[in-house]
Amino acid sequence: MSTSTLPVSPTTGEPITTIARRGRVGLWFMIVADVSGTIALVISYSYLWSLNVNGGWAPPGSTLTADQTNSTIPSDPKASFAVEWPFWAIFLVVVVATVLMWFGYRSARSGNHAGLVVGTGLSLVVSVAALVFQWIQMSTFPFGAGDGAYASAVLLLCASNIFHLFLLIFIGMGIFARARKGLINKSNWYQAQAASYYMTWVCIAFLLGAILTTFMVDSPNVDPAIFGTFKQQ
Amino acid sequence: MSVDTATETKRVFGVEVPQPRQFGASGGIMRRLNFGTGLIGGIGLAAIAGWVTAIITPSSASNDTFAPMEPTYVYLAVLLGWAIGFMLGIGAFVGPLRWVVGRDITHDDAEYMAGKDLGRARYWKYTTDHKVVGIQYLIATMLLLGFAGLLAMLIRTELGMTWAELFSPSFYNSMIGTHGIAMIIAMIVAVTGPLGNFIVPMMIGARDMAYPRLNALSLWLLVAAIPMLISSMFMGGIQDGWSVYQPLASQAPIGMLGYQLTIITFAISTAIASVNLMTTILTMRAKGMTWSRTPIFVYGIFAASLMGLYAFPFFQYSQILGLSDRVFNTSFFNPLNGGSVWLYENLFWLLGHPEVYVIIIPSAAVALELMPVFLRKPLFSFNFAVAGIVGVVALSGLVWAHHMYMTGWAPAANYPFMLSTEMISIPVGFLVLVAIGTFWRGTAWTRLPLMAIYAVIFNKMIGGVTGIYLSDVPVDQYFHGSMFVVAHFHYMLMGAGLFGAMAGIAFFFPKMTGRILDERVGSIGLWTAFIGFQITFMSMFVAGLQGQPRRVLQFDSQFNISNWISTIGAYVIGIGMLIFLAAIITSWRSGAIAGSNPWGSKSLEWQTETPVPLENFPVLPVVTERPYDYGVPDPYEAELDARDQDLTEKAGIK
Repeated sequence: MSTSTLPVSPTTGEPITTIARRGRVGLWFMIVADVSGTIALVISYSYLWSLNVNGGWAPPGSTLTADQTNSTIPSDPKASFAVEWPFWAIFLVVVVATVLMWFGYRSARSGNHAGLVVGTGLSLVVSVAALVFQWIQMSTFPFGAGDGAYASAVLLLCASNIFHLFLLIFIGMGIFARARKGLINKSNWYQAQAASYYMTWVCIAFLLGAILTTFMVDSPNVDPAIFGTFKQQ
Repeated sequence: MSVDTATETKRVFGVEVPQPRQFGASGGIMRRLNFGTGLIGGIGLAAIAGWVTAIITPSSASNDTFAPMEPTYVYLAVLLGWAIGFMLGIGAFVGPLRWVVGRDITHDDAEYMAGKDLGRARYWKYTTDHKVVGIQYLIATMLLLGFAGLLAMLIRTELGMTWAELFSPSFYNSMIGTHGIAMIIAMIVAVTGPLGNFIVPMMIGARDMAYPRLNALSLWLLVAAIPMLISSMFMGGIQDGWSVYQPLASQAPIGMLGYQLTIITFAISTAIASVNLMTTILTMRAKGMTWSRTPIFVYGIFAASLMGLYAFPFFQYSQILGLSDRVFNTSFFNPLNGGSVWLYENLFWLLGHPEVYVIIIPSAAVALELMPVFLRKPLFSFNFAVAGIVGVVALSGLVWAHHMYMTGWAPAANYPFMLSTEMISIPVGFLVLVAIGTFWRGTAWTRLPLMAIYAVIFNKMIGGVTGIYLSDVPVDQYFHGSMFVVAHFHYMLMGAGLFGAMAGIAFFFPKMTGRILDERVGSIGLWTAFIGFQITFMSMFVAGLQGQPRRVLQFDSQFNISNWISTIGAYVIGIGMLIFLAAIITSWRSGAIAGSNPWGSKSLEWQTETPVPLENFPVLPVVTERPYDYGVPDPYEAELDARDQDLTEKAGIK
């Protein structure tokens, strides 16, 4: 019988390096599934943006479609496109949270326990702030869910962001608690590394959302197909 | 800094391992949680959520078409309450909550959660042992298949005596939709669930899956999803087929919410299961198990998991968007307000077609895995088989729009998709050729699993060839939406998929249960079902060629004869399946005791004892040879050698 000197898993007795490798591989696959879902949202947004079916892409009150929309759905005539900068602002807040998590992780690897706790703790706080900002943005959009395809697509992108932020907060709470308890340390840092990787992917998802809502606002299809509305042309 | 240092050590596989602090008895609160508490939690939270929602929703709430929304909100709350309450009650959130507060589980906790010394109770708990999860998947799959099969019998009864109008058109449509999606779900997990979980870790020489708790989570999410699907039948049902095309889905009764939440939940379950299986295969193979020494079944499970991983989120999001349209009044699929039904069709079929291969590839891999065992010769071109699987995975994401030839979406894209669909028949053909090549000059030891493989090969040939016809745009113009299509995909999904699963169950039954499956009763069931299958679906091909449309309750009298024959065939399938089920149940209870390796197989799962110990292997194995080298020279190779020697002697070369 031997006694382990290297950090090992308390449940399987395997070296932590083995567990870490397994964790990294699993994380990459999880990210693949998340990427697929995000691509589905990007496809949905860009597909509806490019078609502008029945002139229903833009909210009814936007300048582009004020005289073009053929929507028969009761909607707010003042509804318009969302302001762009909040998407970028929230993206930047998430980037800050991610950088702080990376700082915490690098601190753990170098044996700087205080840096680990501060980095992961601040990352958690900034993630919560991002969630609050995202909620404020969603609740102050100049359109409602029924104000056309643009409104639908943007709201769902934001809902996806909120889902990601809840995940980040859950992960952040776990990493912070474990950092404080010394469960993440110089020889056992793989969970902080995995959190950093995942947060980096979430940054990319937020970036994609910001790009779509900034550079793909007005539909390029100014002469869309009109069908199914039975309106007199 | 408060470091949660170890308070004691524990001997784990010969190594003294420091343990985290143990809070209370091992297992903690998991000792009190089981399927019963899950049901209580699910039903309780569903009732509370529905009641609260009914109170807070104004009775005047309506959507943009002035339809009342209160029933929608209440049903949605009930479904969400059920799913969350059930998972809460069975203990799915205990692990994540312990992780988030930094209370790591101990070795004793892990052993309790793996079901050590729990006897049969472990099958009713959130157990993490992959073998228990495999059995749980098997039971869940059989129940789902039974439910969907019962609906199939009712559908065929209606079509066999359509003049009697046994069911209303709306209930008939609901049965069609529910049968379809229930069968699809059951077939997706039929091999990957029971055999992927039970067999793969042992086959690669591992002690468990990479993430045991995620393994249990994937199973219980599936269990949570099934009642949501069944409940939809009582809420107006799924009346527009398993594909629930828009805008019909938005106009359907609120039972559609049951479908949508089922798919959203099942997609999460599938993603988790896929990640777990793939990580296990990539990182936990035994020493010496190089890719050329990895069994072909493992390749099949990996490929199916990969396809499910990248494709399922599209299906999931198609349902999230549909649910959002229905509940939040968004307009993703509502053309009146800027939406597009083609968006739905694209998202749906981006999963819908890879899903066919998610079902077929594991079944084909089962066939290739057990053929060398019963033919006592190596697999005919292992590399060709791997190339076939890789080719299917590579092309699986490029064929989805062949389901949309007739929708009017991008007609110019029809021909590239026709080409890609015809191309995918090439790697599928590789797999068939490898199977036939393995039979070549083999000495067949015809036991029940091999008999099922005969059925799979026959059915797959029929399904594959008719599939090539359907991939052609001009032919599809005639056959689209007809019973010909229904017969084709049943040959693939049931004829190849389900019969392949039966082969796998028959083959691995001794390892899973410790008993031999009754071959006489099992064979009677298998061949009865096979004959019934041919009667049902060959006749359906005829109905399709005559022009009978699918999903139609009333039809012209010219289709009566083929429908009567199909209905008789369906009853024969039902009888065959019941006989096969009886063989499983009686053998499980009182069958002949199996040794650890009754088939004389060379792969790792058969080298450990039966019943399989909790840790699978007392000492982790080291692999030194390929899985199908049975020590018997390939007869063709031997003949070639003899001929070479003969020529050498004749040439006088020494």
